[in-house]
Amino acid sequence: MTNLVLRRLLQLPLILLVIYTITLGLAWLVPGNPLENPDRRPKPEVIEQMNRQYNLDSFPRFYFSYLRNATGITWLSDAAAGRLARERELAALSGLPAPHRPIFDLGPSLEYDDWTVNEIVAGSLPISVTLGAAAILIALVIGVATGVIGAVRPNSLADLSTLVVSLIGISLPSFVIGTVLLLVFALILGWFPVAEWGTPRSIVLPAVTLSLPFAAYIARLTRMGMIDALGADYIRTARAKGAAELSVLLKHALKNAFLPVLSFLGPAAALAMTGSFIVERVFTVPGMGQHFVNAVQNKDLFLIMGVVLIFATMLILFNLAVDVLYRWVDPRIES
Amino acid sequence: MLRLLLPVFLLLALVGASVLSDRPMPRADFVFINRGDVNTLDPQRMSWMQDLRVARLIFEGLVQNDVLSDDYAIIPAIAESWTVSEDGLTYTFHLRDNARWTNGSPVTAQDFRFTWRRALLPDLASDYVGMFLLIRGAQDFYDWREQALNDFGERQFPSARARAEAADELWEHTKDRFDEMVALTAPDPLTLVVELERPIPYFLDLCAFAVFYPVYGPLVSQFERPDPVTARLMRRPGWTKPGVLISNGPFELVRWRFKRDMRLEANDLWWNRESLAIESIDIPSVNDPNAVTLAFQTGSVDWVSDVTAAYRGDLLADKLDFYREHAEEYERLKAKGLDPYEIDRRLPEDPRKHIKATPAFGVYFYNFNCRPILADGRPNPFHDARVRRAFAMCIDKQAIVDEVRRLGESVAHTLIPPGSIGGYTGPQGIPHIGQARNEAEREAIAQEARALLEEADFPPNFVVELLFNTDGGHDLIAQAIAKNWQEYLGVQTRLTQKEIKIFREDLKNHRFITARAGWYGDYGDPTTFLNINQSQDGNNDRAYSNPEFDALLDRAAAELDPAERMAILAEAERMLVEEEFPLVPIFIYNNVQLFDSARVTGLTAHPRSKNNLYLIDILGDGKGPDKPRPMRPARSAEPAQ
Repeated sequence: MTNLVLRRLLQLPLILLVIYTITLGLAWLVPGNPLENPDRRPKPEVIEQMNRQYNLDSFPRFYFSYLRNATGITWLSDAAAGRLARERELAALSGLPAPHRPIFDLGPSLEYDDWTVNEIVAGSLPISVTLGAAAILIALVIGVATGVIGAVRPNSLADLSTLVVSLIGISLPSFVIGTVLLLVFALILGWFPVAEWGTPRSIVLPAVTLSLPFAAYIARLTRMGMIDALGADYIRTARAKGAAELSVLLKHALKNAFLPVLSFLGPAAALAMTGSFIVERVFTVPGMGQHFVNAVQNKDLFLIMGVVLIFATMLILFNLAVDVLYRWVDPRIES
Repeated sequence: MLRLLLPVFLLLALVGASVLSDRPMPRADFVFINRGDVNTLDPQRMSWMQDLRVARLIFEGLVQNDVLSDDYAIIPAIAESWTVSEDGLTYTFHLRDNARWTNGSPVTAQDFRFTWRRALLPDLASDYVGMFLLIRGAQDFYDWREQALNDFGERQFPSARARAEAADELWEHTKDRFDEMVALTAPDPLTLVVELERPIPYFLDLCAFAVFYPVYGPLVSQFERPDPVTARLMRRPGWTKPGVLISNGPFELVRWRFKRDMRLEANDLWWNRESLAIESIDIPSVNDPNAVTLAFQTGSVDWVSDVTAAYRGDLLADKLDFYREHAEEYERLKAKGLDPYEIDRRLPEDPRKHIKATPAFGVYFYNFNCRPILADGRPNPFHDARVRRAFAMCIDKQAIVDEVRRLGESVAHTLIPPGSIGGYTGPQGIPHIGQARNEAEREAIAQEARALLEEADFPPNFVVELLFNTDGGHDLIAQAIAKNWQEYLGVQTRLTQKEIKIFREDLKNHRFITARAGWYGDYGDPTTFLNINQSQDGNNDRAYSNPEFDALLDRAAAELDPAERMAILAEAERMLVEEEFPLVPIFIYNNVQLFDSARVTGLTAHPRSKNNLYLIDILGDGKGPDKPRPMRPARSAEPAQ
């Protein structure tokens, strides 16, 4: 187990480097200048200066300077050379708060002058994680329950109706589901607030909307796994020795049937917790998903790289966590 | 089994902890949804309307516009009074002695010197640096600094340390140079003297523009240090955050969460604190157009500054129904000369009346590429003014306003919205095909246009491209125009839709034949619209270059008599919209807002549509005078000096 974790953690920087290189290459090719104001056009020399300031005039310089800042190498070398201490002293002398120097510096946002990418991520990631976690919880409850019901009596009316529901969950885009939920439960019934974030009530509708595609997938995985498991010998044995049906279903069959769901949970959780552009927009959730789209539209290079690297890191770590869980739940898997 | 449930418990704990840690604040007295998210709170870096609107709440400049008066007069703010020299070149501002920064320090003339110097540095790349270059010596200072930085970049240094020290030295020297070169002085802490390069009749209007509002030097300079390699002043973000920001306006920033919300509270140190009728303002960030409208309808928002939902045309149609139902009362109120918000306030309560469409200080138009050769090397038929005139005549502007936009906007015949600038009377423009009263007249206009094309040898197989950006309904307008041109001129057309960033690149590099455009004025003078057609202007997408037009603007700049100057500018505009047609104005934008004027008062109905939100009063909340604040008629024909 330790071996696996170590190996994966060693792979992490390599994978991230590849993702970084490819994403930056693509983002660099996006046409348009991130520093251009739509209406009031700065003079060409002004644009040129700003390009120089942010290293936007040279791909290799940007590539390496960003890499140094984001990996903490700049911070380490500044700390070693005593530059950080000097900055703090200077600030103390003038009676002002010391400049904030994060170890992993993801750079400034080009579109939003007053914000660094670190601040943007720090503000929006927790929100996306909360919403994603709630959505995965709801998806688990709905998905496992309908999956088990379907598997107990395959091809029955109950099974068919769960199939229909999960088909809807997968096929209907979330802006449709979200808008309908918003209209019915927020505007007509008034049970939930509109365009608000922060109260427990405000999480419900976006979490449900976000959960549906995951729930549908989990339901199908659970059903398949359960049908397989219920046909296995050990289930016949359990029933033969007189175990109660509920205990057979939940204790014996589900335990094995859940394994495919578990492996799906890793990428699903990473996906749900880094935010969905559409759900965030419909429900005005200040999460991270919007930045994936907006940053590209604005060609905000630093922000694009920031959110992509965070997403990639989360995806890799969640997959690792699932692998560890997997081995812990099912000791048969080793090597 | 327990092992299986572990991830579930983990998730549950996460959600619970997060919900408990994030407690919302009580609702503010006034909640509004801004045009978009604020990009920056650094006044000298601003250019977006939503940023400037918030800047006018948390900062305060020398003077301000009286936004609730019909003449938009300049009235005192930090400056209690001012004098202008006979030749119109020297402005002396006398600052009030009770203006304070939020940390208690007095606001002094030095603060303005610091701020304007900052705006003048090429290092800061302020979008509006051009306005500061009107000060005597400013252009020389700007050029000097630019040159000094370039020279620095080429110099060799024995060590990095020596380079960094030289960078600091250059910065110290730059400050001295500013003092020597730029005619901006503070004979005492409460007197600011500005000398201009040439008389600028709208200079006070510029001083009311938020980019001229002061920032607190001791704070800001901590966040701006010369870069040890390039010697350019490097900006670090951070000083515009709550708890750090030191400002001098009616409100104070207490919370700003990125793309989430902003909270302002009344600034107890503001000199005119007792005039405030609201104590707190919330600006939630809502980007979905439908969610914005819903938020207003459920009552969580008091004012929506820009309604963009696709069905806003239907909402406005409903409002017209409402007016028709109360036609008699409506006409009676209108005859009294009341402003539209006041009329709505006096009409019976009805949710349909909350939507308001008022003319904005901006115009929608189509650009014609005026270069002799197109980007692909072909000769450009639109280089010929006769061709441009023919195409301009054959746009049914009325149909676009009535059937495509459906926002009650007015057709534009001129580039400058009529009546928006005091003392200026623009030209008439030429009739367009939509004004024809019958088929015969229509045919006559089309015939005249076709004759012009023939005269100009318009190539018969030339495909006229209409370039526009995605979203915003520009596609429908382009379709309508293309259909007009096909029908009346018999030309072939092609619609090209591009993503906004690429669209802008194409415009800037003149890679188009005709393209949609829009322009909003920045200050109350015709030049804010006319300058974009100067040969050398950075916003001259049309590549229109006419020495006669440029000469007219130069003549106006040198003219000391205000009436004569306006007449010259009107002649320049006439040249654009009656003879040369580098562009064809289509309609004047309307601002579409949502608010209940029986509840919210203090919003301006002036076409310049620049709101000073500290004037807001919520009627019936027991705070402030709770009296309606309608638009007042102009105090005098001439703006006060």
